[in-house]
Amino acid sequence: MDTKKGRGRFIFFCLAPAVLLFVIFLIIPTIDVFRMSLYKWGGYTDNKTFIGFQNFSKLFQSDKFYQTFQNSVLLIVIVTIVTFAFALLFASMLTREKLKGQNFFRVVFYIPNILSVVVISAIFSAIYDPNSGLLNAFLNLFRGFQGEPILWLGDHKIVIFSLAGAMIWQAIGYYMVMYMASMANIPESLYESAELEGAGRMTQFFEITIPLIWTNIRTTLTFFIISTINMSFLFVMTMTSGGPDGATEVFLSYMYKEAYTNSSYGYGMAIGVIVFLFSFALAGILNAVTRREHLEY
Amino acid sequence: MKKILSLAITAALTLSLAACGGSTESASGTTTDSSDTKANSGETRTLKLAALETAYGADVWKEITAAFEKATPGVNVETTIDKNIEDVIGPGMKSGDFPDVIHLATGQVKGLTETFVKDNNLTDLTDVLSMTVPGEEVTVKDKLIPGFTDTTITNPYNDGKTYLMPMFYSPTGLFYNAGLFEQKGWEVPTTWDEMWALGDKVKAEGISLFAYPMPGYFDSFFYALLNEVGGADFFNKATSYTEGIWETAEAQQAFDLISKLTTTYTEKTVPANANKDNFTKNQQLILDNKALFMPNGTWVVGEMSKAPRADGFKWGFTALPALKDGGDRYSYTFFEQIWVPAKAENADLAKQFIAYLYSEEAAAIFAKVGAVQPIKGMSDKLDGDNKLFYSIYDNGAKAAMGAFATTDPVEGVNISDTVFRSIDSLVTGAKTQQEWVDGIIKASDELRGALK
Repeated sequence: MDTKKGRGRFIFFCLAPAVLLFVIFLIIPTIDVFRMSLYKWGGYTDNKTFIGFQNFSKLFQSDKFYQTFQNSVLLIVIVTIVTFAFALLFASMLTREKLKGQNFFRVVFYIPNILSVVVISAIFSAIYDPNSGLLNAFLNLFRGFQGEPILWLGDHKIVIFSLAGAMIWQAIGYYMVMYMASMANIPESLYESAELEGAGRMTQFFEITIPLIWTNIRTTLTFFIISTINMSFLFVMTMTSGGPDGATEVFLSYMYKEAYTNSSYGYGMAIGVIVFLFSFALAGILNAVTRREHLEY
Repeated sequence: MKKILSLAITAALTLSLAACGGSTESASGTTTDSSDTKANSGETRTLKLAALETAYGADVWKEITAAFEKATPGVNVETTIDKNIEDVIGPGMKSGDFPDVIHLATGQVKGLTETFVKDNNLTDLTDVLSMTVPGEEVTVKDKLIPGFTDTTITNPYNDGKTYLMPMFYSPTGLFYNAGLFEQKGWEVPTTWDEMWALGDKVKAEGISLFAYPMPGYFDSFFYALLNEVGGADFFNKATSYTEGIWETAEAQQAFDLISKLTTTYTEKTVPANANKDNFTKNQQLILDNKALFMPNGTWVVGEMSKAPRADGFKWGFTALPALKDGGDRYSYTFFEQIWVPAKAENADLAKQFIAYLYSEEAAAIFAKVGAVQPIKGMSDKLDGDNKLFYSIYDNGAKAAMGAFATTDPVEGVNISDTVFRSIDSLVTGAKTQQEWVDGIIKASDELRGALK
């Protein structure tokens, strides 16, 4: 009995510092966001007025907010699906196939991830440039040189996809390495026996690889949501500033604009609350629908 | 034994953590103490200046403060100059530590100055105008070019009181390649009809009439145009969201003009680069003779000084063309502001400092880096490109000043986004003129009730 009590105390003291830091730097600021969303506040001084849920009711009537919501969801969907597909494909190619220069490709794919977003944005701004950009120059080979240049970052209908392109390019390497790590753990014997049974590459991939890295895939799905919301802000800020005319405004860039430029900090925090709840809910839903029986090997 | 040891270790760990927290606290405690004693000793007073580091550089402020300290014995100026000044002084201000004087203009992304204006958090600076400039015999008001302290920017609450003092100013208008006009023998248009005619002529040579760096640059263009179509009175009504103002014939004329300019005469690729990372590519269009005119301010010369340019390139600068022959031409005057937070501890000293900024001595220091203050006779002392730019008002153009009136913050409504940013959509065709105007009317309606 005594030892049990002592052990409990020991665990308590071991955890206390970490819990304390967690509370101070994560729990309290999060609660603060919720609290601030109920105020009308400029953000710099101490003139605050409590206005209840008015910020939220305004938010739900705002067309601009729905536009940013649409843009964010569109980005989450496109970036997740495309990155996921490519990362899985490249990962299985690099682990399962005997390719020349495997390590080289591994490094090359990972490089975008260590580049700063500002650098990536500069690269893609150059690629997307209407007159001297790589993309238009390449397309001109097929289209002929006459005709209007395509405005990758200037056309309302295209710009969000251009943004997604840059984000996908940046993200693939990271997820590829994550998938490769768990693919490397799958015992070779499973593939050998499958091959003896006459299973082709595709069957092996879908029947062995995917089920056995399923836990990893589920984790990354949550990462996709969080990182797309966060990264889209950085890309928007450095590539388009939300333009043209708000066509690439996403959750966080809109929140930033309202909180700072428009002196409505409380309103910005209300957007923050919605983003928080939305990403939490989405991650929860994804987690629930992807639940499978855990496979051991 | 093992238990005791483990307890001792955890205790030590917790203690060290607590010690860490404690030490930072005491460290910050000592710094405030020392500054307090300095202030209380009565011999030297400390003025806290915060300034945004702009193209004029940070050194000029150091020079100014040194000169001010020399001219005002017993005063020590503590300067904070940063390119992200909002982030540097923001956290301190949230906990009640305000700089005494802040040099930061409106129109920045973080909107700090606007937030202070909207929150009524400024010290009234009207009495600075009647203060004598330190070391001189004249008052600040007598030194300033008239009009600068009668704008909706400096007097945001419409009560005749000045809360923000005008600092460096710059005429804005249309910039072009004067060299190209000489080579081709073209005349710089003085009316919009001539402008359209020129636009049609250059189109045949593959040159667009117009380009703009970012849609935000339309502010000066739009304000000047409002003055042209309806005079100062109309401008004031429009910028204070008077009901029905956007449905008047004058407003219609301004909207039609911008619509015609953007849909027919603007280089089509402009919106693709119209963001803060690529806008110099749009400015480059002028240097490369791909577009003729762009709305801009005098800072563009410095901004593009290292950019490649067409042979024989020479900066040209003109006010907005008149609506009809002999009509008024306007050039919008952009200026930065300096102000004192309401909670500044040394507001009196701050006012003295601001008054000093208009002295001959200070003006000369600022002028060295090309920062021109609205002081009478300053423009005569300029040379080079600046002489041409600042003489625009001597050559018949009228000055337009002011901006959209200050309101209480209205969540989700941003008038400059609605008016200026949507111009991108006019160029790409994503919005029609009517949709644009409807948006402006809707935003005006929402802001009217929140007017200060």
